[in-house]
Amino acid sequence: MDKTVLHGKAWVFGDDVDTDLIYHNKYLAETDPKEMPQYSFEYYPGKEHFAKEVKEGDFVVGGTNFGCGSSREHAVYCLKFAGVPVVLAESFARIYYRNAINNGYPVLFVNGLSQAIKDGKIADGDDLEVNLETGEITDVTNGNKFHGDAVADLEKDIMAAGGLVEYLKLQTGH
Amino acid sequence: MGKTMIEKSIRRAAGREVAIGERVWCNMDLSTARDFGGANCVLQFEEVTDNKGKVWDPDKVAFTFDLQAPSHSEKVSRNQKIIREFAKKQGIKKVFDIKWGIGQHVLLENGLVKPGDVILGTDSHMNLLGAVGAFATGVGNTDIVASWFKGTNWFRVPETMKITVNGDFKKGVCMRDFLTSLVGKLRADGMFFKAVEFYGETIEKASLANRITLCSMVTEMSGKIGLIMPNGEVLDWLVERAGDVVLDRVKELAADKDAVYSDELSFDVSDLEPMLSAPDAPDNVKKVREAAGAHVDQVHIGSCSNGRFEDISAAFEVLKAGNFEIAPHMRAIITPATREVMKKCAEAGFIQKFLEAGVVFTNPTCALCTAEHYGALPADDVGMSTTNRNFIGKVGKGSHTYLASPMTAMATAVRGVVTDPRDLLG
Repeated sequence: MDKTVLHGKAWVFGDDVDTDLIYHNKYLAETDPKEMPQYSFEYYPGKEHFAKEVKEGDFVVGGTNFGCGSSREHAVYCLKFAGVPVVLAESFARIYYRNAINNGYPVLFVNGLSQAIKDGKIADGDDLEVNLETGEITDVTNGNKFHGDAVADLEKDIMAAGGLVEYLKLQTGH
Repeated sequence: MGKTMIEKSIRRAAGREVAIGERVWCNMDLSTARDFGGANCVLQFEEVTDNKGKVWDPDKVAFTFDLQAPSHSEKVSRNQKIIREFAKKQGIKKVFDIKWGIGQHVLLENGLVKPGDVILGTDSHMNLLGAVGAFATGVGNTDIVASWFKGTNWFRVPETMKITVNGDFKKGVCMRDFLTSLVGKLRADGMFFKAVEFYGETIEKASLANRITLCSMVTEMSGKIGLIMPNGEVLDWLVERAGDVVLDRVKELAADKDAVYSDELSFDVSDLEPMLSAPDAPDNVKKVREAAGAHVDQVHIGSCSNGRFEDISAAFEVLKAGNFEIAPHMRAIITPATREVMKKCAEAGFIQKFLEAGVVFTNPTCALCTAEHYGALPADDVGMSTTNRNFIGKVGKGSHTYLASPMTAMATAVRGVVTDPRDLLG
């Protein structure tokens, strides 16, 4: 199968999803990224079952300002190591964006997603097809289409290297 | 074309001209981590360097312990030990262990922060150091680890918003109330990725504590950093701590008169009322009067936003106006930001009075910002605190929190319900 075209189920969240809802501060002392997925969205009202039920390949879908709040990188690891291949949101909070890029973890900026979520044009459990190369997103369940922009500039190079540490190693031979 | 403070600071740190929107590699002045995130940084650094890596400059790395100080869980105790041992191995002397207090405040008090310094830390409120003109920013562990290699990291040169504040606060109203009203106006993404410069009489006259408060919630509006160039007493204080180089930096980095701003906003605080963030978001802003009478189970005064001597002093005056009595059911907690602040509170005789009134006065550390701090709330309890976030369940599943000024928090502790401090102060 072509790796750039992904299929999975949507887990849909709203605007301003903060890092405590993604990965609660109660578990900040955790240092092993692979232990982090078990706590994902535990404090998000109505999504407490996410960690148990999320399947590898499922997508996390959010509105504006996804990942606002704390600097904790746990909030990226807990989705990455749960097998969520990409986060789709209208916009990402600054630190969350950096943390994703720095880990080579793909995010797509999807125009109009916040309103589409409010209007039910993309909903929990919908089957999505996401083309990472063209940015084309299709909600297969209802036929709605969206367009997502991948990162550009330096961030694109960091992503291509697999993350910031890998990028610097390539640059400096550290 | 004139330059803003952030453009000049990044130009200084990059050693070349920069343009808005550009990605730029900057030299770090300080790369820090807390006991939260710190062990993650250390373990990641050791892993990616096969335990052979050396940090680029041990004098420019610092660790601060404030997530749990002293630790009360085995996991955090282990994390703190990982940090202490790494610091020893690397020759890092700036380890501010459990006795010191909240990281940014401790760095500031120890003269480690100057205007224009580029500072990283594993704390999303690191940017409150913009209160003295530093370019500090919160980052995750990978950014810290990467910066330890060669002392550099990348930044996007942001647009700058200019906010001018004039007028004097009325009795019972303070900078926190202005900040709350600003969060209410701009909302959670109103400063999206931007830097902000604060100007006006209100800012020029503001104490360091008040400047810290104002800059501490730029993150809650999705801003990169709020910047105030030191002047007056704040400048004297900073020069005393960080040296004469501060004076050169002020000259070099102050924004040009013809600097270009993306947005310009003006406010007058003369008629401002006490404000609060109602549950469950910082931008759910109301006048305290509109929420007055609502039951509150616990009040917590402290945090990187409002844990300085002036904040505790303001709370003290309200308690005094309430005859040093808090409501019988009330659990009231005060947590000073640093050891220096706590010593001043002791010298002023505040601690004795707080204890007699039944207020719990803790050691310096972060206040109730996570469910792992003193005073985590049980389900259905309602708290009021001077911290900076109140997302649902943040300090305990099923609990709710109001954010307010130290004066409003103490007035609420006295009456047991949400109370406008002017009702006590007259």
